[in-house]
Amino acid sequence: MIDEPYRWVEAIANRREYIETELASGSPIVVLETREGLLALTLGGDRQKIFEIYDRIAMAAIGHPADIERLRMLALEVASTEGFTRSPGDVALRRLVSYSLAPAVKAAFEQIYNPPYLVRVLFIELGRNDVAHPSLLMALDYDGSFRCMIKGASPLASGIASTPRANEALQRMLTDYKEPASLRDACKFAARCWSASSLAGTAGESGIDPVIAPQKIEEHLREQSASGMLEAALLAEKQGSRVCFRKLTANELADVW
Amino acid sequence: MTIATDSSGDFLSVLSKHAPSYLASTAAFARATRSLAPVAASGLYEPLIESTTILAFKFAHGVLVAGDRRATAGNTVVYERADKVIEIDERSIMAIAGVPATAWEMARILEHSFQFYRRSQLQEMSVEGKVRTLSKLLRDNLGMVLQGVGAVSPLFATHDGATGRIYFYDTLGAQFEAVDFTTTGSGAPAVRSVLHYVNRWSGRSLCTLGREESLLLALRALETAALSDTATGGIDHRHSVFPIIKLITAGGIETITAQELQDLFEGEVA
Repeated sequence: MIDEPYRWVEAIANRREYIETELASGSPIVVLETREGLLALTLGGDRQKIFEIYDRIAMAAIGHPADIERLRMLALEVASTEGFTRSPGDVALRRLVSYSLAPAVKAAFEQIYNPPYLVRVLFIELGRNDVAHPSLLMALDYDGSFRCMIKGASPLASGIASTPRANEALQRMLTDYKEPASLRDACKFAARCWSASSLAGTAGESGIDPVIAPQKIEEHLREQSASGMLEAALLAEKQGSRVCFRKLTANELADVW
Repeated sequence: MTIATDSSGDFLSVLSKHAPSYLASTAAFARATRSLAPVAASGLYEPLIESTTILAFKFAHGVLVAGDRRATAGNTVVYERADKVIEIDERSIMAIAGVPATAWEMARILEHSFQFYRRSQLQEMSVEGKVRTLSKLLRDNLGMVLQGVGAVSPLFATHDGATGRIYFYDTLGAQFEAVDFTTTGSGAPAVRSVLHYVNRWSGRSLCTLGREESLLLALRALETAALSDTATGGIDHRHSVFPIIKLITAGGIETITAQELQDLFEGEVA
């Protein structure tokens, strides 16, 4: 079958359709730049979705748990090896994704006889307060494609979602984030962005207006909070420690609702 | 394409997979040094008396770890600002006595191993696991010890959330938990005498001492060691070169600033 090029293209198209179907029920991830650092927030419950990769790098993912674990371990191994053989300061997200992770994910996607990675990942890197090392977000998709979002004049505000409609709703909400907020306010705003995206994702392609009323957003958030748990993490400078990652406590998330 | 990853949390196996040249160069160095050591051929070996003094004791709020700053090569003072008290993670410290090249590399491997385990396994390694990891590194260094190069005799101090704990090792990796205090290095006999006297006959045991009392005691003990051991650096207050002192409590690790040590020295030690 694969000897014929058009069969390969058809197989790739089928793969893409299959993976999009598998990812459709995933919970969105929202990342916001706050006054304290970079916040990542999602709502789940059955498993962890936001992970520490290295001192200033975190990862959040939608997709199959086993594939998320494989990619997470690969990222950990590459980053830790680089940090040890050179130095922790030499570990850079851009090189990690461009040279190690994206090629591996692309190769898995295009090898028709092997399983692809059923994942959509958002990597977060905390910058170093100088122009040469700004904060950076990198979204890596199941086909190995990736896009970068670099901190500029406006605060970093991005995310990943399970479907194009959910992503559109998320991006529309994020356009209202004009300035870095306090951690508390950013958590509240991120939760509403999550709710809007989740609502748009569950509505499917039924033609519902992607501009969702605030009341519906609040109702959906309350409904989901009964069955799921908020998960949030912050990348921020910590005195006396190179490690910048920490999970937010239940107290810090208590008044999000 | 399936990427094989290691989910055991063992950093050394990750290093052997992703950076085999690093471990190969270490093995090559070990082979090259075999020709330099008559000790192994004689069947005897003498533990090196390492030129340093490090100490650790339990005080009221946790554990104090201190080390002098001098590095020597025979009779020559090579460096007066060596850092021998190294933070491994948020609650663990390794103080090193021995060949600096080996000791610092061990500290680096230990630090990366603990962090890699925590990040990959999503939980911190237990205290027993941390203690055994250092023991294994020392055992793996046995070849260098028997050849007369690369001996390391460290202290490991940590806080398990409830209480501070101190461990000391021999150069072959045997681990021992200290009840009150421990010290190692060429200046250790003097420090051991001071700490034993205070703990036994001063009227107050070490574990009841407050923060400032503990810092004073550490400064005085190291200054005492420096009097009789030329390989132990004393306090050079003119250049503000003080021992490195760190405290481990339930809240984490605190490094005592040079300014605070200077104030203590001028007020109570000088």
